[in-house]
Amino acid sequence: MQVTRLVCRVLPTLCMLLFLSFAFAQTKRSVSGKVVGGTDKKPVAGATVQIKGTRTATSTDGEGTFTIQGVDDKSVLVISYVGFQTYEIPVGSTSNISAELKPMDALMSELVVVGYTSQRKKDLTGAVTVVNVADMNKQPAPTITDQLQGQAAGVTITTSGSPGEPPRFRIRGFNTFGDNSPLFVVDGVPTGNINDINPNDIASMQILKDAGAASIYGARASNGVVILTTKRGKGKAKISYDGYYGTQNPNSKNPYELLNPQEQADLKWLALKNTAARTNEQPVYADALYGNGATPRLPDYILPLGKMEGDPAVDPSLYYVVPNYGDLATYNKFYRITKANKSGTDWMDEIFDPAPIQSHNINVSGGNDQGNYLFSASYFDQKGTLLETYNKRFTLRSNSQYNIRKNIRIGENLSYSIIDNPRITILDEGNAVSMAYRQQPIVPVYDIMGNYAGTFGGQLGQATNPVAARQRTASNKGFGNRLFGNAYAEVDFLKNFTFRTSFGGEYYAFSGRWFNYPTYENAENGNANSYSENSGTGYEWTWTNTVTYTKSFGDHNVKILAGTEAINSNNQYLEGNTTDYFSFDPDYTTWESGSGTATHRSSRSSVALYSLFGRVDYNYKGKYLAGFTLRRDGSSKFGPENKYGVFPAGSLGWRVSDENFMKGLTWLDDLKLRGSYGIMGNQLNLSPNSQFTTYRSDRNSTFYDINGTSNSLLMGFRQGAYGNPNAKWESDAAFNIGFDATIKNRLFEISADYYVKQVYDMLFNPTLPGTAGAAAPPYVNVAEMRTSGLDITVGSHFDVAKDWQFDITGTFTSFNNEILKIAEGQDYFTSQSRRFNGQDIIRNEEGHEMSSYYGYKIVGFWNTQAEIDAANELARKTTGSATAVYQTDAAVGRFRYDDKGAGIVTPDSRQFLGSPNPDFSYGLNLGVAYKAFDLSAFFYGVSGVEIWNQVRWWTDFYPSFAGGKSKTAMYNSWTPENHNAKAPIVENAASFSTNSTPNSYYVEDGSYLRLKNLQIGYTLNHKALDKAGISRLRFYVQAANLFTITKYTGLDPEIGGGDSGSFGVDEGAYPAIKQFLFGLNLSF
Amino acid sequence: MKKARYIITLSLFSLASIGLDSCSKNFLDKPLLGNLTEDVLATEKGVTTLLIGTYAALDGQNVGGGTWESSPTNWIYGSVAAGDAHKGSDAGDQPPINLIATGKSDPTNGFFNAKWRANYEGISRANAVLRVAEKATDMSPETKAKLTAEARFLRGHFYFDLKKMFNMVPWIDETTTEFKQPNTEDIWPKIEADFQYAYDNLGDNAPAIGRVNKWAAAAYLGKTLLFEKKFGEAIPVFTAIVANGKNSAGVKYGLTDRFEDNFDPANKNNKETVFAVQMVAKAGTGDISSGNAGEMLNFPYGDSPFGCCGFYQPTVDLVNSYRTDADGLPFLDTYNSEVVKHDQGVESSTAFTTYTGRLDPRLDWTAGRRGIPYKDWGNHPGKKWIRDQNFAGPYAPKKNVYWQVTQDKFSDRISWAPGSAINIHVIRYADVLLMAAEAEAQAGSLATAMGYVNQVRERAGKPESMVYKYNDDTDPLAGFSTDLAANYVVEPYPAGSAVFASKESALKAIYFERKLELAMEGHRYFDLVRWGIAPTEMAKFFTYESQWTSDIDGGTFTANKNEYYPIPQAQMDLSSTGGVPTLTQNQGY
Repeated sequence: MQVTRLVCRVLPTLCMLLFLSFAFAQTKRSVSGKVVGGTDKKPVAGATVQIKGTRTATSTDGEGTFTIQGVDDKSVLVISYVGFQTYEIPVGSTSNISAELKPMDALMSELVVVGYTSQRKKDLTGAVTVVNVADMNKQPAPTITDQLQGQAAGVTITTSGSPGEPPRFRIRGFNTFGDNSPLFVVDGVPTGNINDINPNDIASMQILKDAGAASIYGARASNGVVILTTKRGKGKAKISYDGYYGTQNPNSKNPYELLNPQEQADLKWLALKNTAARTNEQPVYADALYGNGATPRLPDYILPLGKMEGDPAVDPSLYYVVPNYGDLATYNKFYRITKANKSGTDWMDEIFDPAPIQSHNINVSGGNDQGNYLFSASYFDQKGTLLETYNKRFTLRSNSQYNIRKNIRIGENLSYSIIDNPRITILDEGNAVSMAYRQQPIVPVYDIMGNYAGTFGGQLGQATNPVAARQRTASNKGFGNRLFGNAYAEVDFLKNFTFRTSFGGEYYAFSGRWFNYPTYENAENGNANSYSENSGTGYEWTWTNTVTYTKSFGDHNVKILAGTEAINSNNQYLEGNTTDYFSFDPDYTTWESGSGTATHRSSRSSVALYSLFGRVDYNYKGKYLAGFTLRRDGSSKFGPENKYGVFPAGSLGWRVSDENFMKGLTWLDDLKLRGSYGIMGNQLNLSPNSQFTTYRSDRNSTFYDINGTSNSLLMGFRQGAYGNPNAKWESDAAFNIGFDATIKNRLFEISADYYVKQVYDMLFNPTLPGTAGAAAPPYVNVAEMRTSGLDITVGSHFDVAKDWQFDITGTFTSFNNEILKIAEGQDYFTSQSRRFNGQDIIRNEEGHEMSSYYGYKIVGFWNTQAEIDAANELARKTTGSATAVYQTDAAVGRFRYDDKGAGIVTPDSRQFLGSPNPDFSYGLNLGVAYKAFDLSAFFYGVSGVEIWNQVRWWTDFYPSFAGGKSKTAMYNSWTPENHNAKAPIVENAASFSTNSTPNSYYVEDGSYLRLKNLQIGYTLNHKALDKAGISRLRFYVQAANLFTITKYTGLDPEIGGGDSGSFGVDEGAYPAIKQFLFGLNLSF
Repeated sequence: MKKARYIITLSLFSLASIGLDSCSKNFLDKPLLGNLTEDVLATEKGVTTLLIGTYAALDGQNVGGGTWESSPTNWIYGSVAAGDAHKGSDAGDQPPINLIATGKSDPTNGFFNAKWRANYEGISRANAVLRVAEKATDMSPETKAKLTAEARFLRGHFYFDLKKMFNMVPWIDETTTEFKQPNTEDIWPKIEADFQYAYDNLGDNAPAIGRVNKWAAAAYLGKTLLFEKKFGEAIPVFTAIVANGKNSAGVKYGLTDRFEDNFDPANKNNKETVFAVQMVAKAGTGDISSGNAGEMLNFPYGDSPFGCCGFYQPTVDLVNSYRTDADGLPFLDTYNSEVVKHDQGVESSTAFTTYTGRLDPRLDWTAGRRGIPYKDWGNHPGKKWIRDQNFAGPYAPKKNVYWQVTQDKFSDRISWAPGSAINIHVIRYADVLLMAAEAEAQAGSLATAMGYVNQVRERAGKPESMVYKYNDDTDPLAGFSTDLAANYVVEPYPAGSAVFASKESALKAIYFERKLELAMEGHRYFDLVRWGIAPTEMAKFFTYESQWTSDIDGGTFTANKNEYYPIPQAQMDLSSTGGVPTLTQNQGY
């Protein structure tokens, strides 16, 4: 890592500088000065100016000026004023001092909520990123996680254009082979889901990244912890409205560069020619679709196959299709007539359309000594640009607190959400985007009678009509709601103690329903009609009790916290399905209105966690800081032997800038060094049943028609899983070192952390030998992994001229991951076979990073038979076998694979071909304010990332099923004349040496830089507004995803969605969409 | 005073914590949900249910990989690899089968892993029966012996399938706890012992038609002995079956008059059924995993009513094999000297007259060809039901295709490809007769052998086993006429036939009869290998067939290698301890 090396080199130099100090002997005198403060730099009247270490003090006058006696060159003035940060300045030799106070809340004294308590930001010793919620909220996205992309160093988020698709969220890379999602703590209540929390309700957000900060969450800390605090009311009653409306535009250009119908036909002829030439034969052009000529001709009709106008077979009176057919007898009588679309159907254009997006938030709040309240409501409605996709969300929030005595506070935080979001599958070969490149352009959307057209007939591949597929989902529903929040009480007692109890959690329910229509237009039709419903409900409660003791003994400041937490979680799931409906009317279909077979299934689970924890934070003069946390967790997921896990962590901080020897460095406002080490745990990957060896029955695999009825099954059992009662906690030993610095009055701020974490006892379910049967293998604590990385946040705030203010914040995230161990006897595991029949694309292997691509590396083409003969000769020499061949299926025009010097291509020649893990990712927030105008821009980029572009399997290789093919296949494939091609020879033969095995052809650079957001706002400042009681009125226009710079040839280099085992594999992603919005912020 | 309050508060808090902590013992105990432990199953009922679960593993499904990869019919490994059929479809579809078909696959081919896993899952389920039966206390010794015998039969079946595929495979039984076992031992004796135990302990009648009886065990024992070339030991077993064998319902074994009854779900579990895997349609599973999912790809394509996927196309070589001479006998050596006229390269819209030469009617129950009734789906229209003739020839599979008239009952269209309730024959009585013939011929009893063969040929020639033209070609459901669909001539070998005059030629005739009778049923590859004629037969096949299609270009059968499939690389890797595989790879890989 170059960056790491750079910092290591710079740091000692920096430290050397900091240790420089000067001392002079001086005599007493007086000094005058002026104190200003705030962003507007108005004079501060009444500020206290004191000579440090003495009782000599004075106050500033109305102009902010002061004069104080009795200083010498070594004196230090301490200037303080309510609401501003205390400011210390060495007098030196000057007699005139100007001091600029920085407002308290925006700076280091702000209170930051950390594990179960809060700390001043300046006292933090752990690696905690405090997210700028205002910047974050500018992204027009429905969830906090979407908005967070690029805003916090150390956090990697991959989003998808698919409405409602939750982003992939990782803090500091990988911590486990399984679920890497962090723990969220919302107003003190832990949860795994924040997708339904309205981002506009968030007051503050902290990301606890290292053990020092996160380890107090013990068993759930390993993936990182995100602490969210929702807004509370304060001051006089206020109503505000924030909203936007806009349009979303899909890419205007089809990026797949597919052939037109005539070119598709030409390609087929080329394939026939090349295939025949292999055996020195003349090609036979006899095609039901394209005729028998030396050049193919486009038919007028694709159904009946290849017919021309005037043929009696295309007589419309023969046409017979009943789209909503119920029985096979009717289906068998269908007579379809479909005209060829000779000009070509642009399927991408057919399935994507501009779509609106809108968001409205209203918020009422207020508060005083008696308590405070906040009520908010929001409505978000995003139509997807892909047909029949959308995400609608409605949320309500009520936060209130009652200060019933001076020392007793009782309150609640409650949110309720409703989400209507039927989600679609993406990134697989069957999704709508995939079908848009797999479906040939000669196929029109509709047949001659306006019913769907498709590949039926057998000569056009087996893609399905994506418009039909999407439109048939129009009445599908996916609906969820959740009540989430807590009630709490806090009592201050015995002066230094606070007791807090909080009982909270969630109750959720979701349901979905969908109808499977029979199809008739495709080559491979499903003839059954069926209706399905599912639903799930669950609750989780968390009861947390803490006692905090806060006390200062002179310069020693101590905060001690002890607590208990109990968590109980239960959920259940139901699903059912019935076939054969008399009517497909969505209003008619229920489980009981179908006449065919009914199927149902259900499941439930229950998990409990009980914990004791404590923390001690200590500092001496705010200069030397230390923190220690300890947690003991018990989990129902583990057997009696290993039910409990203990997770300690310690951290140290040193505010170097407070040292006397640093006082001369006036440019340095603040410098703190931090370090931490601790253990965090993880138990996410374990299912509640994993300690048991189980037997189960399962309709699909253990039931059998023992009575030979042909239509019914009797129950059977099999072993379902091997249990491991001895499984224990995953342990993540994390070391972190970092520093925070503020320079030249916030002209430059930097915070950087370097970390190394080693996860051991990682839970993994090593594949058992086949001889053990198909029962699920147990999770055992075998694997180990190491991740190291660097998180940097840099900010700059400056005013270039009067009325011009600039704010720049950059984040930089980089990590390296290495799998150290998987399991005894197993040094790799693989996933994602796609169309390679069991040869997996992704390989996780010891000594390599997670989720790497694996396959043969292409070194060129076999240009002549002589090359192949020579290679075979080499292979025979290498192996000593007279029948050895160098490379299976080697032939002229096909790929030549790298043999890694072995003299023969074998499975051992496969190698690592890249990974979807970026070398680094970065975000850049730019803010400019000029008078009433403000402009903000946010760039996000990733670099050094590879994408497995599986789309090319379909489009660039002729034998990869008939379907839409690319211009690359036609015009940039190997021919005897073109050896410098991209794709191999076009031929009607799949082979190991072209498309039937994973190789480097699919690996592409996926680096990109995207302007995620650009917003220009104008705030009206007018007396009339004040009179009307309007305290703020701002309009803005905004563009999201305006441009992306990338070399990636697919739809979008950001491959969002998919599961943790498949990320980076693109088989038709739902692209990020350009959005243009108009918005309004209004407060009374 | 103040101090006291501190102490009291802290003590109360600590007490509360400890109290909660001790409560947590129960709080943290959560029950096993939706599953059972082994102890609960240790009753007669539980063991029987585990046994049913073992039968359910016969379909080879739900072990990962495509359903066809682990199909219990072995259509890929037994038939496509042996020249019965082409892979079919087009070049890019399921390319690993191309490699299997041409003898070029290597151990990393994922198909073998699926097959391996499917069989060991069956073995694991059978072992669970045996293990739990030992724990159950409510069973009589007789019941226990019967349940155990059935489980051992099924285990024997799974091992037999592994043995013929991979030869050297590790033995796992109900006592094994370490699953990394070497494959250095020849397990034939153990397979024999399992079938022998079942033969000794099962009765004539099974408790249900889908369960096996002693005669199924006898047949499998005989087959095992045949594979071991223990012909002398096999003869009495086969003789006993022919004399006394009954199906699971107690009906004496015999050949059905109608050849197609073996493949028609309306007549399943008949007197010819020795051991079949029961298949269902529309049984409420929401998929076709219990409905012949392994064959889901093997239906005509194009504008056919099936939808998927044009695989498993019979070869020209196979179709030619059904030619008969004027005496109604097959051309054992020269069957390819004349081509049964086919429509390769002929559009469906172009007129075509079918072959008029003499044919064995079993052809038209085995291969779909242009102009001949495709069951009751209409005359096969030729090219437009074929995905890519240039790639895989002009024919369509037939034995695995359901009938239109009963499709609502016996087909299942819930999935993207059809499922069906057509049972899979592991052993049917015709197979038993031909195995018996082989054993007898090997022992020199040529007349007895010919008698067995002739029983099979006589059935083929029965009027019920012929294919007839439709009453109305435009309405195939309107029934069949009495006009034969082709020129069918099939006769038994006449008394004193020269073919059965020598052991060598008798065996050739028996081998050929197996080809004709059991074509497309997943047997031939394993037959060719055990007969030792695979290299020569396959070489002839590749040479002949490659003039018609491009899919088998470069096909070879390498002696001392291709007799067995490679041990799956994934299993080699998983068997490793300390980097050294416990399993040994087969010769040549």
